[in-house]
Formats: sequence, structure tokens, C-alpha cells
Amino acid sequence: MDKFSFKDVLVTFAGLFITTLVAWVLITSTGNNPSEVAKYLYEGGFKGTRNIANSLYQATPLILTATATLISFRVGMFNIGINGSMYVGALYAGWAGYRFTNLGHFSHVTLCILIGMTVGALWMLLPALLRVYAGVSEIISTIILNFVAVLFVSYMANGPFRADPIAPATARILETAELKQIFPNSQFNTGFFIAVIVAILAHFVLNKTTFGYELRSGGDGLVGVYPSRFSSYLGIPSDRSAIIGMLISGALGGLAGAIEVLGAVRYFFQELEFNQGFDGILIGILGKLEPIGAIIASLFYGAIKNGGFFVDYKTDVAREIIIVLISILIFFVSAQKIVKGLEKYPIVKKLDSFFSRKKM
Amino acid sequence: MNKEIAIHLKNITKSYPGVIANKNVDFQVNKGEIHALVGENGAGKSTLMKILYGIEQPDEGEIVINGSMETINKVETAINLGIGMVHQEFTLVPSFTAPENIGLGQEPKNSKGLVDWKGLNKSVMDIAEKYGFKVDPGLKMIDASVGVQQRTEILKTLYRNANILILDEPTAVLTPQETDELFNVIRTLVNEGKTVIFITHKLREVMEIADRVTVMRAGEVQGVSETKNTSITELASQMVGREVFLQVKKDEADPKDEILNVENLWVHDARGLLAVNGVEMSIKEGEIVGIAGVEGNGQTELVEALTGLRKASRGKIMYLGEDIASSTPKNIRRKKIAHIPEDRTNTGLNTQLSIWENLIGNSYFRKPLSSKGIFNLKKVAKHANKLKEDFDIRSPNVSLKVKSLSGGNQQKVVVARELSEDPTLTIASQPTRGVDIGNIEAIHEQLVQMRDDGGAVLLVSAELDEVMAVADRVGVMYEGQIVKWVNPKEVDQSQMGLYMAGVTE
Ligand SMILES: Nc1ncnc2c1ncn2[C@@H]1O[C@H](COP(=O)(O)OP(=O)(O)OP(=O)(O)O)[C@@H](O)[C@H]1O
Ligand SMILES: [Mg+2]
Repeated sequence: MDKFSFKDVLVTFAGLFITTLVAWVLITSTGNNPSEVAKYLYEGGFKGTRNIANSLYQATPLILTATATLISFRVGMFNIGINGSMYVGALYAGWAGYRFTNLGHFSHVTLCILIGMTVGALWMLLPALLRVYAGVSEIISTIILNFVAVLFVSYMANGPFRADPIAPATARILETAELKQIFPNSQFNTGFFIAVIVAILAHFVLNKTTFGYELRSGGDGLVGVYPSRFSSYLGIPSDRSAIIGMLISGALGGLAGAIEVLGAVRYFFQELEFNQGFDGILIGILGKLEPIGAIIASLFYGAIKNGGFFVDYKTDVAREIIIVLISILIFFVSAQKIVKGLEKYPIVKKLDSFFSRKKM
Repeated sequence: MNKEIAIHLKNITKSYPGVIANKNVDFQVNKGEIHALVGENGAGKSTLMKILYGIEQPDEGEIVINGSMETINKVETAINLGIGMVHQEFTLVPSFTAPENIGLGQEPKNSKGLVDWKGLNKSVMDIAEKYGFKVDPGLKMIDASVGVQQRTEILKTLYRNANILILDEPTAVLTPQETDELFNVIRTLVNEGKTVIFITHKLREVMEIADRVTVMRAGEVQGVSETKNTSITELASQMVGREVFLQVKKDEADPKDEILNVENLWVHDARGLLAVNGVEMSIKEGEIVGIAGVEGNGQTELVEALTGLRKASRGKIMYLGEDIASSTPKNIRRKKIAHIPEDRTNTGLNTQLSIWENLIGNSYFRKPLSSKGIFNLKKVAKHANKLKEDFDIRSPNVSLKVKSLSGGNQQKVVVARELSEDPTLTIASQPTRGVDIGNIEAIHEQLVQMRDDGGAVLLVSAELDEVMAVADRVGVMYEGQIVKWVNPKEVDQSQMGLYMAGVTE
């Protein structure tokens, strides 16, 4: 994938600038004070232990879903079904969290996570096989499976796994299955560290191992290109890469769901709503399809999201407005052409080639 | 004589990170002329034309079209100014017919606001007739030959009323017959008052068709001359900056043990039709065997079968005494068979990956490039940079995407990779397609060197000159069979022409 360049920095700042202008207008027109909103947005995102912890908590699943998405993109599969994997991963990790008793803390957590990841991976097996052996577009099948996942988990929470007589919810997970929350009054939990380590591992595997090279040989762009003639020509079975890539991707989606349940929610209920799988697509692209980029973009996104909650809580500005603003921001930050006009200035060019230089 | 000037590009400068693709370029084309643009790979020819066509914007410089200064910052502007461009990689929709492709984006509407197919067909056929094109309106592009696809691209520009046509290496993918047809088309166009800019690496074509020629080197214009006042050798040395040997230097071959023996090989093509029926061939170490023939006579399928990319339906491929007819590409590669494929953009390269990632496609798994599955990126960089030097791949940095390389430099990446791992048998299909003469010379020398070091080489090329100059023995392929084996020193071009048409008596 493209490495980060000075141009990207420019685009990001241009995007921030434009979004600020739009935000100003929007907030003023709803009769609020923009500078107050800005203040709370900043405080909610970055000020004080609790807010920072909450921002990191928001970032946790995003790091994983973004990494999951970019892995499938980079093997040449246009997978947009991570949200589905996240749901089923969450459901089964939660199930394992109360179903297995008499386990030690470490082994119980590990078991729950592995089950969540396995189920998330299996969820992606179907679209992968359909693509490889029947030529069904993975875009279509993963979209459909996203809907199926919602219906499936809500059925399970309401039926077979239901434990609560009043609400459609599973039993609470046992204490041995909990990912510990570290700060009082915050759902931030040790899952954050798991997410970061997994993303760094993904960076290593994708970029520094022959296994990662084989996976990427058929893709590595924004456009899915499976099946790749280049891979088969080199003797790298691109079917295998596509399937393995989808399974890894699904496993990370499942992990995101598992961490949500084990670390924050602690049980699964019918109304539990995830959309981090979709946000992950945006964040993955924003991070230039690099896991390290995904971590950075997720931290940023998490902070804004949490800042948005804080604004909602402190002012009359609806949280929806903040979500609209985040969308506008992403929109402009991915609008590469904004700075195209600037490209011809020698200074921009010099900086660009300086920053995009990499020793090789 | 005072000629009207159709295009004047003044003082154009364009740089990409780390490269100056065009440097104060001044380029003039007269109305009604055929103007050739030549230069080494990476000299900046395509970039200059992309600027004229509005795909790229110059950092500096002016564009004057028919006397008035224009800012061309998008393709639509160029089209409205009557400029049309045919890229080397075609932009046709494979499942559409010629008229559908030509009308795409500019479909005539009938009174109900729907596409007027009849009207479209008629206007396409009218234009085709006017310029002497043969068009089959029902043929889908996926089933059309390269020559037909190219004519469709040209028609597309004419349909959009182009008066100035830019053809970027149009002959690189054409057979000699198709090239002749293209030249007839170009002459008709010029007779109708059109202006043609023509990029090529084949200087013979320049002398044959162009009125004037501009030579570029390293982003700068080296000179402009009338073709009648210059020569191939002069152009060649102007391009490369040194003298170029237009002949291949090699000693008599000294063939030894047999490496490959193909027995009664039958292969079906992608549509299930029989493409190779009963090929027999043997290659020994220390010789270069050439396959000549008009494209589409089974060469592609033969090579695909030899390299494991296509299953043979019948017959044996004995390599060092072992039948590899049902082996996978991986196993065939591990047996030290290298393959330069004819299709470089989709098969030979992944243009999304970096140069180094493309260069290690056949060696990433071995020490010291990797060990226990983990890359030693320092060693990889060293390896990649050495190949970059050895094969003169022009790029500031091997970490850049292959996509950013010029066409000829992309080809050099494929050749460098395939020749790098000391292959026992090298199967080279159109190895010099899109490569400039200086580098053609270098690649031919490499192939001869492989031979002299005891390797075996199979050279398949649509360039008759190339096969005859490089190969020690040549088989002529016609309708899926090798109909004649010749010693290239003992036959002339016209005789080969007959063999290639299937006349062997
Ligand atoms: N998009 C790009 N990004 C970076 N560098 C580029 C890009 N496009 C072209 N270049 C560089 O600009 C230079 C000129 O390239 P160009 O394609 O114009 O060469 P060319 O004369 O057409 O060569 P060829 O005969 O091989 O087609 C090359 O060094 C190439 O690597
Ligand atoms: Mg070019």
C-alpha cells in the first residue's frame, strides 16, 4: 500500500479545517455555542484519566475491526462483513463466559477469546468458499451475512441462550472470564492491550513475513483483485490466500466482539448494537490499509467519539450532530484531491518526497 | 513553406517525487503530419502525452492548440479541443461490442430518451467506412483480437471528433500484418486532415511512417528531425546517448544434453477450443530455440502448458527426464524453469506492489532473503537494488509501486526477476515488448549469456526480427502445430512469411 506522505498530513489538516468550518455553521445554526462545543469535545476526548480511558475504550474494537478489514482488502477480497463476525464472536464469547465453570482466570479468558475468534472466522468461511468455488461476489455475500448475523444473535439471545426471564439476554459471564477494567467509572479494559498487540502482530505478519507476502501477492490495493493471475503465475495458490485472509479477518472481527462482551458489557442481550465493523472499514482506509495506521486512526476516532458523548452530556447539541461531523471529517480527510492543486508548488513537492522517502 | 502548428507544448516541466519526468520540454506538431515521439524507457514520452490529454497537470509550461493557449486540466477539455488518445493498455469494456464501447458515455438518444442503438450503429459504421476500417458490430471485445480492439479505440476517438490523435506505443502489441493495417489507417486519417502523434520503440516504423520525429532523453528533448534527413542509427544514438549495436553478437551455439522434450502436446484454450494439436519439440542446454508465427496460432497456450498455467489435454512434457505435464506452476518454478509471460500487467506483475516485492516473487522463500518465514529486509533490499542496477530499471527507489514505472521499466522488472535465479530453462514470451533499443540489446545479451552458461532458452516472439536474430533454431507455429524447423541463417524474411502462413512446400 501507499506509505504515508506529507500530502496525507496536508489532506488531514485541510479536512480538519473544512470540518471545523462546517461544524461552526451547523452548531451555530442549531442555536449553540461552537466554542463551548469545541471545548467539551476536546475535554471529552483528551482531558483527565477517565475521559482518556473512555476514549481508549472506544478505540479498542475499532483497532481490531479496522485491522480485520484491511487484511481482507490486502489479500484482494472486498470484505465488508466484519460487523457480522463481531456479533457472533461476541455472542459465543459471552456464552463461553458463563457456560464453562471451574476454570482459572487466565484459562477461562483465553478459552472465551479463542471461541469468539473461531466463531468469527467460521462466519467468514462461507463467503470465502462461495467466492472461491462458486464465484459469488464477497461484497454481496458479506453484506447479506451482516443482516443474517443480527437476526441470528437476537434469536439466540431470545431463545436458546436466554437466561433472564424478563429481558432477552444471556446469563452474565463469570468473574473468571472477565477482562479487567482498570479505572473506576470507565469501561476501559485490558482488551485494549490485546487489540494493540494483535494489530502490531498483523503489521509484522503482513509486511515482514513470507506468509504475509504470499497473502498479499494477489492484492494489496483498495480494489479486490482476487483471483490474481500474478499469484498463480508465481506458484502461490491465490485460492488459499483468499480463504486464509478471510478467516484471519473474521477471527479479528470475532475478537473485537469478544472483548466488548468480556471487558465491557459482560453479557449478551438482544438490543446490543454494534457498528464498529462498519466504522472499521472507514478507519482501515483512513489508515492507508496499514495496521499501524489503523491504530492511530482508531485512537483519533475513539477520542472524537468519546468527546461527542461528552458534548451530548454537557450541552444541548445532539450526539447525532457529532456523528454527522465525524462523517464529514472522514469524507474530507479521504478526499485526496483537495490538495491536488497544491502539489505543483515546489515546497510541497520537496516535503512530499522527503517524507515519502524510505530506506530500501 | 509555412506550416500551421496544431500543437505547441512550451517549456513543460513535470516532476514526480524523486524524478523529473519532463524538463523544459518544447514540443511542436504541425497540422496534418505524422509525428513520431521516441526515447528510452522512462524518458517521459507517456507523461508528456498525458499532460496534453489532461490526465496529468504540468508543474510549469504552456499548451497551445491551433494557435490559442489552453489550460487542459481534465480529459473532457482535451476531447473538446479535438484531442484523442489511445493508451497502450486498452480501456474497453470486454463484454461490450465495438459500437457499445464507442458510444459509451456519448450515447445518442431517441425521442423517448433511450439509447438509440440503431443510430449509434449507423454512425459508427459510417465513420468506419469513411476511414476504411473493418468493423464487426456484433463482436464482443473479449473475443476480438488485439488489432481489432485497437481499431475500436481509435474509432472511439474519431467518434468524439478527434482531430489530433495520440497513439502511445500502438504497435507494441500488434503482429506485423496488423501493424501494416494500422499504418494504412493512419495514412487515411492524415489524408483526411488529421494530425497523428505516434510513440514507438521501433525505429524502422518511424522511418516508414513519420514525417518528423522528436527524440527525448531523461525528460528532455534531444532533437527534432525530418525522417528523410535522419537514419535509424542516428536516432538510436541520439536516444541512448551512445552507439547501439542493432545486431545481436553471439557465437555458434554448442548444444549439449537435452533439457526439454515435448511429445505430441495437445492443449485447449480458455474457450475450450483446440489451440495446440500435436506439438513436438526438443531443447538442449546451450541453445536458444525460437518460436515464430502469427500471434494466435497456439503460442500462448503452448507456453501456458509448459509453465503449468494451463493443463495439457494430451501428450508429454519431459523436463530432465520427468514428465511435468500435470505439475503445478509452483513445482515447475522450483525446478528452475523461469517464465517471462507475454502479459506483463496482469500476469507478470502486481502493479499495486512495490518494485522490490515484484522482484522477489521467485526468490522470497530462500536464504538469505528470508529465513524461517521471516524476511531479512536488508538482504532483500540489497538483492532488489542489485537487480535494479543490473537491469537498468529507472526509478529513484525500489519501494515505489511498480505502477509508477514507465511501461518499458515495468517489463525490465519482469525480465530481471525471471533471469535472476539462475534458471535451467528460460521460457521467454515477448521478452522485449515495450522496451527501448538500448535495453533490447541488453536483454538479448542476457539471453545469449544464459545460453553460453549452459542454460536452455525458449524464445517466443511476434517480432520476426527478434526470433531470427537471437535464436539458434526456429520453429514456425501455424494452427497449433510447428509446421517447419529452420536455421535462421539460412532462410530469408519472405520465405518465413510463407511458412508462417502455413505454406511449407
Ligand atoms: N505516477 C507516477 N508516479 C511516480 N513516477 C512516475 C509516475 N508516472 C511516471 N513516473 C516516472 O516518470 C518517468 C517518465 O515516465 P514515462 O511513463 O513518461 O516514460 P516513457 O518515456 O513513456 O517510457 P516507456 O518507453 O518505458 O513507456 C519515469 O521515470 C517514471 O518512473
Ligand atoms: Mg510510455
